[in-house]
Amino acid sequence: MASAADVRSILSLPANSSPAAGPSHQPKKQSTVSTRKPEGISRELYSLIGSSAPALAAQLAKPRLKQKPNLGGGGKVKWEWRSFKNGARSDSLELGHWVKATDKPNADYQFAKYNVQPTVYEWSQDEYSRHLEDSEWTKEETDYLFKIAHEYDLRWYIIHDRYEYPNGPTREIEDLKDRYYSVCRKLVRNRTWAGDEASKSQLLLSFQYDKEKEILRRKYVASLANRTPEQIQEEEALYIEIKRLEQNERQFKRDRENLLRTIAGVDSGLPDIVEDDATLIVADPKKKKLKGMDLDIPQTPVLTAPVMKRPPTLNKNAVYDATHCIIRNDPPPTTPATKVAHTPAYLRSFKIPYPKAAIAHKVNALLTEIGVSHSRLVMPTQANCQHLESVIDAATNLVELKKVLDKVNQDVEVLKNRLELREDGGDGGSVADAIETDDRGETAEPEGENRRSLSVMSARSTRSRKHSRRSMSVSSVDTAVPSSTRTGIKRQKRM
Amino acid sequence: MVNYGGDEVSALVIDIGSSSLRAGYAGDDTPKAIIPSPYGYIPPSALSGDGDATMNENGASEVAGKAKSYFGHSGPSIWRANMEIGNPISDGLIADFGPIPALIRHALEDVMHCTASEHPILVTEPSWNTQANRERMAEIMFEEFQVPAFYIANTSVLNTFAAGKGSALVIDIGQSVASVVPVVDGFVLRKGLQFSSLPKLVHAHARHLLTTPNPVRPPAELYPYQLISSKQAVEPNAHPRYTLREDRLAGTTRSWREWYEAREVEEWVQTVAGVLDQGWNDQLLQHRQHKQYEFPTGYNAWFGPERFGVGEMYFHHTPQLVAGNPDIPKHIPGLITDSLKACDPELRQVLISNVVLTGGGSLFSGLADRLGSELARSFPHFKIHAPGNPIERRYGGWLGGSILASLGTFHQLWISREEWQEHGKAIVGQRCK
Repeated sequence: MASAADVRSILSLPANSSPAAGPSHQPKKQSTVSTRKPEGISRELYSLIGSSAPALAAQLAKPRLKQKPNLGGGGKVKWEWRSFKNGARSDSLELGHWVKATDKPNADYQFAKYNVQPTVYEWSQDEYSRHLEDSEWTKEETDYLFKIAHEYDLRWYIIHDRYEYPNGPTREIEDLKDRYYSVCRKLVRNRTWAGDEASKSQLLLSFQYDKEKEILRRKYVASLANRTPEQIQEEEALYIEIKRLEQNERQFKRDRENLLRTIAGVDSGLPDIVEDDATLIVADPKKKKLKGMDLDIPQTPVLTAPVMKRPPTLNKNAVYDATHCIIRNDPPPTTPATKVAHTPAYLRSFKIPYPKAAIAHKVNALLTEIGVSHSRLVMPTQANCQHLESVIDAATNLVELKKVLDKVNQDVEVLKNRLELREDGGDGGSVADAIETDDRGETAEPEGENRRSLSVMSARSTRSRKHSRRSMSVSSVDTAVPSSTRTGIKRQKRM
Repeated sequence: MVNYGGDEVSALVIDIGSSSLRAGYAGDDTPKAIIPSPYGYIPPSALSGDGDATMNENGASEVAGKAKSYFGHSGPSIWRANMEIGNPISDGLIADFGPIPALIRHALEDVMHCTASEHPILVTEPSWNTQANRERMAEIMFEEFQVPAFYIANTSVLNTFAAGKGSALVIDIGQSVASVVPVVDGFVLRKGLQFSSLPKLVHAHARHLLTTPNPVRPPAELYPYQLISSKQAVEPNAHPRYTLREDRLAGTTRSWREWYEAREVEEWVQTVAGVLDQGWNDQLLQHRQHKQYEFPTGYNAWFGPERFGVGEMYFHHTPQLVAGNPDIPKHIPGLITDSLKACDPELRQVLISNVVLTGGGSLFSGLADRLGSELARSFPHFKIHAPGNPIERRYGGWLGGSILASLGTFHQLWISREEWQEHGKAIVGQRCK
């Protein structure tokens, strides 16, 4: 047996310095070196499963937890007890409060800025005697008023409450306000103004005060407040009554409509009933009550009710209608109120006359030629509609006449050709063929046609007009189109 | 903090009422110290030769010569031989300034353990306070307590602030005075100020009800428990069986006895009495529960409709009663009507939709509901702000003071020591409007 050293030398491995460390160490060392513990597997687990750890574990590793919120920049905030001076105070009082140590030590007191002082108006004796004289007020009392007004920051109710001028007359709040604002107005107006005109007028506007209006308003408020409980109750009862009546009426109308619809059919086209709430509110309370009594007993809604109502209103309102351009088209009273006879309300613009569908194209072309747009009427009044209708009628007539004329002309041409052929005695087969195909469906005896008179031709032309009416593509323009194409079209149609 | 406009300068707020004195730090929601306003004192004549050293540990101090005074919770309520009871407050106003510094000192130093000279102090006053009174209070604060800054604010205004409003009709029912005060923009409308000693009338009525013989039950004897040595359980409406502490009877003063009897009556009122929320109605009364109450003597009884009669006094006076006493204090609806009548018609709607009900007396069961139904009779749109929390209701004035004194914008209004020394008493009237 070869010794370990021999084997080593054969395998060209380095010599083992300490044979005691032996082969037991070797593989272990190797394994730790070669396979590193993958990320995301706990050490204990890895030592159990060894290198057979699933490769996927690496991806599943490390649950990503939600990041911890970072509150307030982290760390603690240091607070300090500092004394401060208040800029809004005139004395040197120092109070203390807790502030963040990071705050500026000599900053202005943050609440001092809320100490807003209004402008105080003052005047000299000379100014007073020139502008501000008032028989009701002395200068001293005016001074007192301004002093107290600024003491209480123009809170007029307080000023009025605390106003105690010795030996002065009792002043209402309006008196005080009026005096204050009028003095301010006069001062602003009569002094030289440093700023622009707009700001001056704006300032004047803010001193606007209408004493009479204010007194009136106060009277209203007082009378509103001084209502007796009975009056308030009555008012409330009336209000509730109105509400109830309105509701009743609405209900009644809805019921009636429903009933009518049920009887006359869903699409009877009954106009929706307009609620006349306005008249209800305007009417005086006594009347309302009476009306309410009537309405409480609901009349049986009869089908003919609206029809029956109309004739009297018509007679009565003839003048009214004339002045307001109302044109009534009533159904004759004899017609029964059925679905067929009923004409629902419509917009006149919906009933603008249209040319007949068959020749609409030609008529439209004609109308555009003369500069009339039939599809849109700027003002579809009754008269305008009538005008348009007559124009369209005329246009239709014209187009039809033209077509008849064309047809006749063509027939005459054809007959003339045949006559020539006869007279020539030759066999104009191609042309005859064409004629034959032209008249194939109508008659089986092309020969007989030759003998027909002009009157017969007129009959044919009407028939052919019918054809052309069916073929939409034919217009007055292509009356001159060769007959072969026309036959083709006709064949198509017949099939 | 800036968002709320608050800036706490560790101010103190002191609210002195008829029944108790409240003190605490501005910015807190409840006062730290609540001590009774009445105090016990042993006159010098009775003190001589009497070695009363045992009761000294709490709230004892020397006032006015040699009289020994007792303040706080262990003050008047503890029986002491020859101890008289005094109350510096009468009709809501400070009538006797003698014991006031000692009372405040007890609250600040013994209960709150703070030094007055380190804190600005806000003191409250009723709306009908006199100019002399507030100046005297300022003097006490600056001269005796050496406060750096002082302000005196109106309780009605503070109650308005406590309710989070600027304008309100404050109905404050205290222990001795009921008041209705219109407040607009944080100022009291003095012309609309109405107050009466209605709670006293109610108290007298309740006392009369308890102590007069009745076909159903014997009159109640209002001995306080300090004077009772033993008692036995008895049936309702039966005569009580108890023995009095004969050793104490001799040393009990009349004022102490009266004060304690009043407390017994008050406790009965607060526990048993109520008010019907829809006005007096005999049918409705029959359905109301009876309530049992036991007095310290062991006497107990069930109280039925009569307990509502007590509360009814706040809202309605029988014609006989009015005929009997011509200057009977006005009831609450009367106060409200008179107050509103004196106000501008434009303000009435504002005020009536901002009614603030406050004061310990308003905790009477059913009072807020009844007030609502009374107001509904004359005003279509009204709103009553009555905090459900009894602390807020009882100490509304203090709470408002706590809010006010912790506002950043308020700190310019303090009367500083410097201003006091410069301008003297006049500054109080100028600054505290």
